[in-house]
Amino acid sequence: MLDSSHIARGRVLDGRWLSLGAALIAATLAAWHLDLFATLAQLVDLDLGLLARFFAAAISPALSYEGAVPAGTPPLLFKALEAARQTLIFALTGLSLALVIGVPLGIACTRSFWNLAQRSNSARHRLRRGAWFCARTVAALLRSVHELLFAILFLAALGMSELAAVIAIALPYGGILAKVFAELLDEAPDGPSHALAASGAGRTTNFFATRLPAALPNLCAYAFYRFECALRSAAVLGFFGLPTLGFFLAQAFENLHLRELWTYLYTLLLLVWLIEMWSGAIRRRLVA
Amino acid sequence: MSTVHDFEILSRLRRERSRSKFLRASLAAVAALIALAWILAACEWRSFDFASRTSKVMRFAQELVPYALRERAFSWSEYGAWIADRWQTSAAAATVNTLAIAFTAIVIAALFGAFASTAATRSLMTAEPYLPAAHPTSRWLRWGWSAVANLTRLLLLFLRAIPEYVFAFLAVAMLGPLAWALILALALHNVGILGRLGAEMFEDQPRSTPRALRAAGASRAHIAAAVLLPTSFTRFWLFFFYRFETCIREATVLGMVGVVSLGYGIANARARLFYDEMIFLIACSALLVLCGDLASTWMRERLRAASRESLR
Repeated sequence: MLDSSHIARGRVLDGRWLSLGAALIAATLAAWHLDLFATLAQLVDLDLGLLARFFAAAISPALSYEGAVPAGTPPLLFKALEAARQTLIFALTGLSLALVIGVPLGIACTRSFWNLAQRSNSARHRLRRGAWFCARTVAALLRSVHELLFAILFLAALGMSELAAVIAIALPYGGILAKVFAELLDEAPDGPSHALAASGAGRTTNFFATRLPAALPNLCAYAFYRFECALRSAAVLGFFGLPTLGFFLAQAFENLHLRELWTYLYTLLLLVWLIEMWSGAIRRRLVA
Repeated sequence: MSTVHDFEILSRLRRERSRSKFLRASLAAVAALIALAWILAACEWRSFDFASRTSKVMRFAQELVPYALRERAFSWSEYGAWIADRWQTSAAAATVNTLAIAFTAIVIAALFGAFASTAATRSLMTAEPYLPAAHPTSRWLRWGWSAVANLTRLLLLFLRAIPEYVFAFLAVAMLGPLAWALILALALHNVGILGRLGAEMFEDQPRSTPRALRAAGASRAHIAAAVLLPTSFTRFWLFFFYRFETCIREATVLGMVGVVSLGYGIANARARLFYDEMIFLIACSALLVLCGDLASTWMRERLRAASRESLR
């Protein structure tokens, strides 16, 4: 029947207004707990000189060192490019390890690989359910610790080591990849897999022949997005001593060489932009 | 004979499938880059000396036991009491602060991100949104409007590309050791992400309704408020909760720049070599992230179910 029942009613207690209101109230409570409104006054009388110099330096990033440097140091732009190269190396090694962890774990986290859809109470089915639950728990635990916290842990336990930093990136990224890959694999179209199951194929053959190839474009697209995130994490690890962009950012700021700081910031921006353009081009061709 | 026929059909289908030279070249390039990265790593990194590392790990494992319990035999009840004491004195407040920082930051980011998305929507920020103009528009007007969209996109790209930690480091150094510094850092980065996602969502929307509104004389702000924002409400909530999960994760480490959240306690404990407290706080942050993950997944499931329900 053609009437107006399908039109969303804009009453005040509509679900949308309710959720918006709830979010704003919760945020106000959180802000009050943190004493944000009181410290807002403190923000007003801050060091405006430094802030102004910081933004002014954005317009004229340094092309050569500010301040004296020992003889024989490579030019500033070379140093920035070298830092970018190190960031790329750490991101690539970290992400490749994360894929090695994340792909098998992701497959183990899907419902379709273990064929949990069939309702049965046999011992084998319960075993499979247990295996799936273990995989999901491992992925959740890996995901819950930030890569910087893993890095701090390894720093304290093993001392400074590049391999430890790469493993620190790889572990949580592996967990995140596992979770998203499992969702993408489960959401792949299941017509082909039903057809193959009807003609008698085994569970594993079915999975690798139908679901995995169907979901592969989405998996690749997400892996590229993770690579962008790995670049940022690798840059931040520089704050803890690795020779990536973060190290030079911290150094430049602590010496108050603000124009040099912006050179490194622009290098990071350029790196992320290039990878994002490439990743976008790939995603358009893959997912279209 | 029918199997031969099937094989011919399959071979022909396989030959005719769409191939992209760009994709193949890209995947080959990625494989080559990864191999190159590992080779360079093997040449440049310090060698991993297993002997000295194992002894370090042993010593570290010993220091994980709280100082007060170290001399005596280990008992779980005492450890539990130590944990309860630590939780009450510092960890509980730090955990609540971390959650508060994450939530405030994501709400601020959502509000500003919604504004930024409308300013970055190319279909809206043109001289003739959705309908050709009645009079010919000047070249400068068209250039001006597209400049608005492109400049906003550039700004969002910058906010996205710089990690939250860098923003937090700079903010704490320039604004002082306030919670506002961490919130601004988180919010700025997430405005970049939410703004870009929102702009893509607005551009993908069907043009029929905005066109009808434009024909009735609506301005760009009217179209944004009446059509673009309400129809993408559910998807915006989905992005919101996805980013909320990430914000909790980041908020736990942002404290390491010197204020408020769990990260501050962790950095403090590491500096004073109190590894027992450090491990406890790391476990607290993991628990917080797990809870946030569960809450976010539950909300997103409900949102997806609601949107599927409304489509029927």
